[in-house]
Amino acid sequence: MTDDETERFAGQIRDALRNVIDPELGYNIVDLGLVYAVTVEDGGVARIEMTTTTRGCPATEYLKSGARDAAWNVPRVEFVDVALTYDPPWTPDMMTDEAKMHLGIA
Amino acid sequence: MPGVALSRWTMSYFAAALAWLVAAEALMAAGFGYPAAPFEAPETLVLVHIITIGWLSLLMCGALFQFVPVLVARPLYSDRLPLPTLACLLGGLIALLAGFLRMTTETGASGAPFAIASILLGAGFALALWNLGRTLWAARPLPLPARFVVVGLFSLAATVLLGIVFSLTLGGLATAAHAIEVTTHGLPIHVVAGLAGWLTFSAVGVSYRLLAMFMLAPELDGPGTRGAFYLGTAALAIAIPGGVAAICASGNVAVSLVAASLPGLAAAGLYGRDVVHLYRARKRRVIELNSRMAGVALAGLGATVATGIALLAAGAFVRHLGVVVFLVAFAWLSTLGLAKLYKIVAFVTWLECYGPVLGKTTTPRVQDLVVEGRAGKWFVLFSTAVWCGAGALAIDRPFIFRLSAAAMLIATLGIAVHLLRTRRLANVAPTLRIPKGVQPPHLLVCRAQHP
Repeated sequence: MTDDETERFAGQIRDALRNVIDPELGYNIVDLGLVYAVTVEDGGVARIEMTTTTRGCPATEYLKSGARDAAWNVPRVEFVDVALTYDPPWTPDMMTDEAKMHLGIA
Repeated sequence: MPGVALSRWTMSYFAAALAWLVAAEALMAAGFGYPAAPFEAPETLVLVHIITIGWLSLLMCGALFQFVPVLVARPLYSDRLPLPTLACLLGGLIALLAGFLRMTTETGASGAPFAIASILLGAGFALALWNLGRTLWAARPLPLPARFVVVGLFSLAATVLLGIVFSLTLGGLATAAHAIEVTTHGLPIHVVAGLAGWLTFSAVGVSYRLLAMFMLAPELDGPGTRGAFYLGTAALAIAIPGGVAAICASGNVAVSLVAASLPGLAAAGLYGRDVVHLYRARKRRVIELNSRMAGVALAGLGATVATGIALLAAGAFVRHLGVVVFLVAFAWLSTLGLAKLYKIVAFVTWLECYGPVLGKTTTPRVQDLVVEGRAGKWFVLFSTAVWCGAGALAIDRPFIFRLSAAAMLIATLGIAVHLLRTRRLANVAPTLRIPKGVQPPHLLVCRAQHP
């Protein structure tokens, strides 16, 4: 894949991840800033690095499997690896302006 | 599903706790126990233990089985133990109430029910302590909120041990001199260990984390927060083991309680400062009903402390002890408990029903499971009724107290209906309510689903 194709492929996966919401904040995990990285490799391998709003969140496993299932729905994706990280820890500053506005966050 | 922290029996604890709260409010509205009966009368002891064990302790245990894993980011040691724990606690409470009621009969023979209560309540709380203790032990070093819970659990152990000594002595089964002395003079220590140590200290620990989590406020572990922890722990150590030692040495517990009040008040002040900071520094400007009502409860705690200090200064603390205990139980702990119950039931129900289909289909938000506008009025009624009840106790108007208790009962039933609607997914738009492959939730048991 060329760099452009790789970028587009990763963008499609990010769009698919917008179908996954953080249940507490009620907004998609991409615009909340919970998805730190989406990379794609040859053979349709997608690697997602993500976090949760708080360590120990009871929804953690559901968010991980939700992200995996959403990415898997993207055409040409053959394998999905979702890694959870708390480095750096999430802060509300990582949200997009739209997400902040939606949540009425100062 | 491995790694999912969904406590199976938490809903059962919440349902049982609410049922006991309704029973307590109905008894208060009917004029059973204090203020119609003396503070130390068996009827009042029935009422007090329905509130503290049946309502507040079952609520706290259910919440801790769900949220200690969140505090320490580790799964609960055992998801099977909470059921036998609940059975022991319910059986033990019924036996304890039977023992108190037997004291009002002519024979007064309450030995057998008190012995059964001691065994069952001792076993039930021991199982809860074992389960939560193993979970916390495996997660060392503990974050600060979890350390508050550890001190709360030690206080629970002290409360239960004192309660067992009292039961066995009152039932005529324990006759050792120290047991009789502790039973004669130890009631204030039992109350402090239960209300301040077990229930308040644990609630404070959980509140540090939940308030930060739900309001997107910074998590606190600075010198002020650590000061609140160490001073509060010192106060409880002086009051509980120090108090028992003082009784055994001199039969006088007052010195240790007065000594404990100084670090205790300092800890309360630091906690109050932290809470104000959490609300001020929150990122979410518009906060949910549970956080607003938690604010009301925290203000209730502050007002209770101020009332206690004012009564002490006026030399009227002992005469109005009932007012202070009522405020701690209802203006602080019950208001906070109902507020967090409203949130936790929705959150856990969401996890159970919609977590497994996240990413597969469109899911509602947690907030879509509740209708805050309609529920809010019941919380306002509850809080107003609590303060009317406290005022009625203070000016010695038993009939107004009963009316206030009836209003609390109505408010509690209103909140319970909302919790039931949440659990039944009745507020969710029909198109989103039951995704393909998902079963409607059971009322009392949480199940991990695999659609």
